[in-house]
Amino acid sequence: MDQVNRLLPQTQCGRCGFEGCRPYARAIVEGESINRCPPGGTDTIIHLANLMNERRQALDPGAGNYQLPTVAVIREAECIGCTLCIQACPLDAILGAAKLMHTVFEQECSGCDLCVEPCPVDCIDMVPISRDSHLPWQAPGEIRSVYNPLNSMS
Amino acid sequence: MRLVNRLLGRRSDRAPYAIFGGIAADAYKTRSLRSRLMPVPIPEQLVLPLSQNLGVDAVAIVEAGDLVQKFQLLAEADEPGSVALHAPTSGLVSSISNATVADEFGSQRLCIHLQSDGEDRPIETVPEADYRALDHLQLLERIERAGICGLGGAGFPSAQKLSLGMKSGIDLLIINAVECEPFISADEALIRERGASVVVGAEILKSACLASNCIIVLQEDRADAIEALKKALENSSIELMTLAAGYPVGGEKQIIQAVTGMEVPSHAYPASIGVLVFNAGTAYAVYKAIADGEPCVSRITTLTGAPLQTPKNFETLIGTSVSFLFDLCGIDTTRHTGTIVGGSLMGIQLLTLDVPVMKTSNCLIAMSAAEFPPDEPELACIRCGFCAEACPARLLPQQLYAFSRAHDHEQNLAHGLFDCIECGACAYVCPSHIPLVQYYRSSKAEIRAQQRRQLQSQHWQRQFQQHQYRIKKQQDEAPHQISGDAVGPVKDDEPAKKNRSREDGDKTEAAVFSRERAKREIAEAVARVRARKAGHIASPRTDAESDG
Amino acid sequence: MQTQPSAIGISSPMQHSQRSTGRLMLLVIAACIPGVATATWYFGFGVLINIMLAASMAIILEACALKLRGRDMRQHLSDNSALVTAVLFGIAMPPGASWWLVAMGIFFAIVIAKHIYGGLGQNLFNPAMCGYVLLLLSFPVEMTSWHIPNDALVDGSSFSAFSLAGLRQSLLLSMPVFGSAQMSSPDSIDGLAMATPLIEFKMAGTGALLAAWDAGVSLFSRDSGAAWELVNMGYLCGGLFLIYKRIISWHIPCAIIATVTMMSMLFYAPDSSAVYGTPYLHLFGNATMIGAFFIATDPVSAATTVRGKIYYGIIIGLAIYGIRVWGSYLDSIAFAVLLGNFCAPALDYLCRPRIYGHGKKSRSVPTTEVEP
Repeated sequence: MDQVNRLLPQTQCGRCGFEGCRPYARAIVEGESINRCPPGGTDTIIHLANLMNERRQALDPGAGNYQLPTVAVIREAECIGCTLCIQACPLDAILGAAKLMHTVFEQECSGCDLCVEPCPVDCIDMVPISRDSHLPWQAPGEIRSVYNPLNSMS
Repeated sequence: MRLVNRLLGRRSDRAPYAIFGGIAADAYKTRSLRSRLMPVPIPEQLVLPLSQNLGVDAVAIVEAGDLVQKFQLLAEADEPGSVALHAPTSGLVSSISNATVADEFGSQRLCIHLQSDGEDRPIETVPEADYRALDHLQLLERIERAGICGLGGAGFPSAQKLSLGMKSGIDLLIINAVECEPFISADEALIRERGASVVVGAEILKSACLASNCIIVLQEDRADAIEALKKALENSSIELMTLAAGYPVGGEKQIIQAVTGMEVPSHAYPASIGVLVFNAGTAYAVYKAIADGEPCVSRITTLTGAPLQTPKNFETLIGTSVSFLFDLCGIDTTRHTGTIVGGSLMGIQLLTLDVPVMKTSNCLIAMSAAEFPPDEPELACIRCGFCAEACPARLLPQQLYAFSRAHDHEQNLAHGLFDCIECGACAYVCPSHIPLVQYYRSSKAEIRAQQRRQLQSQHWQRQFQQHQYRIKKQQDEAPHQISGDAVGPVKDDEPAKKNRSREDGDKTEAAVFSRERAKREIAEAVARVRARKAGHIASPRTDAESDG
Repeated sequence: MQTQPSAIGISSPMQHSQRSTGRLMLLVIAACIPGVATATWYFGFGVLINIMLAASMAIILEACALKLRGRDMRQHLSDNSALVTAVLFGIAMPPGASWWLVAMGIFFAIVIAKHIYGGLGQNLFNPAMCGYVLLLLSFPVEMTSWHIPNDALVDGSSFSAFSLAGLRQSLLLSMPVFGSAQMSSPDSIDGLAMATPLIEFKMAGTGALLAAWDAGVSLFSRDSGAAWELVNMGYLCGGLFLIYKRIISWHIPCAIIATVTMMSMLFYAPDSSAVYGTPYLHLFGNATMIGAFFIATDPVSAATTVRGKIYYGIIIGLAIYGIRVWGSYLDSIAFAVLLGNFCAPALDYLCRPRIYGHGKKSRSVPTTEVEP
């Protein structure tokens, strides 16, 4: 199960239907389908297929769609300091306390967007982010390929 | 091998070891060596990227609107990997903003834009009469303050390289004047005319890193430069060595192999085997910095290519734009098909001419269809193995190509992808015209991105585990609280322990925070915000915020 | 001035050696010319006809296959690989073979042994040899009958092979629908009915060249029996030319020749059966030269590392000698090369050179570390 867990992106977003990546890893070992992780991208599905000796599959639409990697950004002017998002965040990426302004640590945020729903004033945006330091070289003839980092969300 | 050479009566100053692979490419150097070094007139605008090696930015200490003098410090090297930046001429700092820099993608980097006033007023420089009076730490400090980085192309901060080297102990300092890449003749021109200064610079470097020996290495067909050096080395402990012509004998790993027969271990610096390699241009810059007290603000750049009417070597100021230099040489735009910074085999093809010359720009080539015929289409790999014969790192480029096409990163790593120095010899000889280096670069980028994501995943996993631990701890202690929910801890960068101690402090406050009050306050706040929102047309609040 | 960053950068190197695959292949064909000319001289136009047939069919088939695969025809045809396959296949075919044999063989070679595997660079096995082996196994009689028109056997008159009559007869042999050619007498046929005149040499103690020298017989006449030796000399010259031009490396041919020589010296036993003959016999009495220099060195199916090439050559040399001497086929080049092709991927994986900077051992050390 640890091997499966290592292949998952650890965003702890819950889109797979499980509470975090480790429970999903456990479920995969017990037979759950491997195509329920949108942040992992096609890379993850392929690696899981190789590890679990299963066929590669397209992403389960029930789990969501592929997106660019994002981070949560709080519009501080609208934040009321309710701390609901802090409680929702599985990675403790939000700094703040009761009635004080909250802000998200970009480095810590995995883009799981679990904080967006609880916010009563809807002041959190999910902003696309590129974590690579500079434009990477593309292989000749490939603009976007299945293996391009675009398809893996983190 | 040395013994065999002596027995056969070969010149004893010729390098005794051969490198792996290699190719013989036409040199195209004579045309730019016909004339002497020329200083370049001061351009009106200078664009100075804060990172002269396109790595870590230096920190600007001037602001837009400041008047600066020549040699004045403009940006400090605070972080490892950055290099200090000085004003190449006097003038006004018009802005500090993004501009296009000389890389393959036309990236934008932060630059200091300097409007020259034409007067070229320098600040007071402090030449050092006798560098031998300085100890190595003082030398290192001056080299660092002068903003010297590797002028051969890589641009690694020289002071850092020297101090890293000193930690392991340096037996041999190699001054690399081989310049094996076609079209570049900057080092040769420099040595031909200022060989004595290069030698003094080499001696300064030798003292600075406490090396036991020093060798200057040249290619054997550079008669003028060898003459000049031999004269300059008459009273010096530095030796001269010549190498047979070939590409890429001048690469750092290859020159070490040619001179010493040793190989730099994979993923290690040459300092780990007691060798340091510096470019001849860097040695000259060191000389200028110590002996004349002038920081690094100019370098020798070769301007060459068929469309140029007068190809030659210029002493260019950092920050001069490429288009200015081409106009100076007289460029025939009808034949001009592209521009390269660097040599023809490892250089960077520019997307625009409005980019500045940096400390690492040793050559500018104006491409023409005659010398750079258009690319032929890529055919299938016929597994001929010419590439493996040419590879100086003794890799198997045909296998790396197959793995890169298949995105098989494990096999790529097992076959030594990161030992590739991207010299381009394999792609040069490939009869199917496969752009091999581009495949390897993209694979390396993919592998690096993958590794970064893995580290990130591990970090997130640790964060999540800490989060779970914290929740569990709160739940365990929940019965002891008066009522209501516990509030999340104040998050900071300190490790978990400190988090928990802070958490305890917060809990006492939280203890009096009841659920009903919370609900009430939230409802009020929501109403306030809704009213605020209703009263405004959608106003972007984000730009008014400052991120904490 | 600011420009938009582009995701598509142009990578170094910007210069190229201007060698191209098409030109390399043409040089390989050019190197075949001495051998082919000698064979045509001795065996008539059949050799050339086979090559022409094979070449034209190969190009048509390759064009069709490329079209079916959706590739740019002009670009891929210009690499001349189909031509080389066709030439080598045509050389291997017996001179009197009918056109449909050639067609079948070349179809199998180009379409199945090359394009179905993925086209140039992806085929595991040497396509020409695949085609030849298919025919050899399916039509053993036709493939081992070396039909040579009467005129080519006329003693003394050196130019009869190039007469129009000889040409006409060769064409008729190739396309029997148009009439029947005058075949040589049964006695003569027996002597030349094998795929190579190995039988002849089995009776000879010394090389036929030396025998002919002693007898004062002109080498260029049909009777001298030196035909095959000279053909092999022609291919040897061509092969040395290729090595000089650095198109092939010396490792494979040297390994094959050295192994065959060693084996024949080891097992030399002229009294038992002539097939345990001298190294000279084994090297020049049949198709070893063309196998060593042209067929086994096909870059796509051969091993690609230096040490791999040497082992590849040794395997092929052992197979050549083994199948020829102890097997039931007279000439074993095709099977030996295919056997070598089987081993090539494993050799590529196992025989890697030590990478610069890795341990001073013979195998490169795999590492998963990454440069920062």
